[in-house]
Amino acid sequence: MYKAILIDDEPLARQLVKALLKEYTQITVVAECGDGFEGYKAIQEHQPDLIFLDVQMPKVNGFEMLELVETPPSVIFTTAFDEYAVKAFEAHAIDYLLKPVGKERFDKAINKWLQQMAAKQVTPIEPLMQSNVYEGYQHRIVVKDNGMIRIVPAQDIQYLEANDDYVKIVTDAGSYLKKSTLSHIEDSLDPQQFVRVHRSYLIPVSQLMRIEPYEKESHIALLKCGAKVLVSKSGMARLKKVLGW
Amino acid sequence: MPILCICIFAAHEYWLFYYLDLDPINSLIDSVSSTILLSLCIWGLYLVITSYPTKVGIVLYALIIATFFAILAGYVDGLVLRYISGRNDDEYIKWLDDTMPLRYLANWVICGWIGTAVAINKRTQEVKQKFQLQSDAAVLLKEAELYKLRQQLQPHFLYNSLNSISALTMIEPGKAQDMISKLSEFLRTSVKRESQDKIPLSDELLYIESYLAIESVRFGDRLRVRFEHEDNVQAIMPPFLLQPILENAIKFGLYGVTGEVTICVQIKMIDDMLRVIINNPFDAAAQMPRGTGFGLEGIRRRLYLLYARTDLLETTIENERYTTTLKIPQ
Repeated sequence: MYKAILIDDEPLARQLVKALLKEYTQITVVAECGDGFEGYKAIQEHQPDLIFLDVQMPKVNGFEMLELVETPPSVIFTTAFDEYAVKAFEAHAIDYLLKPVGKERFDKAINKWLQQMAAKQVTPIEPLMQSNVYEGYQHRIVVKDNGMIRIVPAQDIQYLEANDDYVKIVTDAGSYLKKSTLSHIEDSLDPQQFVRVHRSYLIPVSQLMRIEPYEKESHIALLKCGAKVLVSKSGMARLKKVLGW
Repeated sequence: MPILCICIFAAHEYWLFYYLDLDPINSLIDSVSSTILLSLCIWGLYLVITSYPTKVGIVLYALIIATFFAILAGYVDGLVLRYISGRNDDEYIKWLDDTMPLRYLANWVICGWIGTAVAINKRTQEVKQKFQLQSDAAVLLKEAELYKLRQQLQPHFLYNSLNSISALTMIEPGKAQDMISKLSEFLRTSVKRESQDKIPLSDELLYIESYLAIESVRFGDRLRVRFEHEDNVQAIMPPFLLQPILENAIKFGLYGVTGEVTICVQIKMIDDMLRVIINNPFDAAAQMPRGTGFGLEGIRRRLYLLYARTDLLETTIENERYTTTLKIPQ
């Protein structure tokens, strides 16, 4: 018996998938969610084998939600937008169904998944490090906070620090850990606003207060929040470029 | 041109015969010779100036050419008269020499005047032509742009609606039929209106209602739309302005907020200006779905093309509500 969760903000779209799933008695729909928050909670709660996921949803989009799940289940995307297909397959999605979803195409996707499950060959979906499904840069980072999803607007960030497999995101309201790399976050944020000043630090230019020399060839940056951050030689060069010195 | 020649001829004859008391034969020869030469020069001048290829300094160019032709005409005139009338007449030759500067001056004035006139005329015509071309291009551009902007109806709306219909056929076939007819009505109006410039407000409201009917089937209980309008608002407006604003409001509202969303539409008429105010909940932290924003930009552009005004569409954010105000001059 497999467990499935449907995550889509349109109730009829969920009902369609549910109706199409009816003949697969080995798959039970354990939850239906209308947005990414609910979806995340339901995944934590039910630990499903398969999720049907829409990309555009209220508050957090499908990719952002997926990023937060520690051990994501198999994913079949269902969306009216074909632009994200490449990204979805890169992340080893089982399939990418375009709306309106036809029965034949749906059955093909389910059978493909069932076969993989039977052969125990399911490639787990990889968390998409860069949830940048929209054009341009992200203006926020989605993080987990006590089992809840929190959206951190880019302007609230004081600095970001690499911390083993995690990135520590420091804001005035506290700090959060996110399983990601500093480079991935750096790529998703606007390079005119965030500068990688050191291998372990990414800072918003707006937070910069003063830069002082520190040891040979390196500097130390004083931020508005009072924190001191190391600036490497190449970091200093990047900073100068952005600030136009 | 011939009238001008006759005038010059007459003036010349008058001057010689009555003013200077020259004998009739000599004055006639003088007049004919001078007029023919001057006319030839003016003709040449005209040809040279009108075929002048570049556009810069045409007046100066015309004056130089005119001076050249004036000197040429005067010189040839002198030679001709000396040969015909002054063969055995030293007194005539002396008189001729005395009047030469005056002849040059007269020729120069006439040639210069005509040359400048031709040059200015040519310039005016060029400017007119350019203007015509530009205004033609502007009209074409406007049409093309309007057409393109009307095409902004996002296909995703269609795909999502079809997906909903697909679901309804399995769950509630009756409702599916209903939705198909609503969608068809919406699409039919979209196509039919392509060629219309202005439509009554009531028609646009009907169109909006069919659009909202489809959206409320898609989003179910999450979407509520409240209409507030004064009775009997009689107005005309360009088609397809309200739908993109509502689409925007729905997206902003539904993607920014979880749970139920209410969108308010107010319609008022103030001082011969139709005002449509659309208001939706808004969360600044939420990332906007694709395509939003363009809708409003497109409307701003259309309003500018239609009314040459940039103040007809305003947006404000207050208390987590996003308000779009559209004004249509009547």
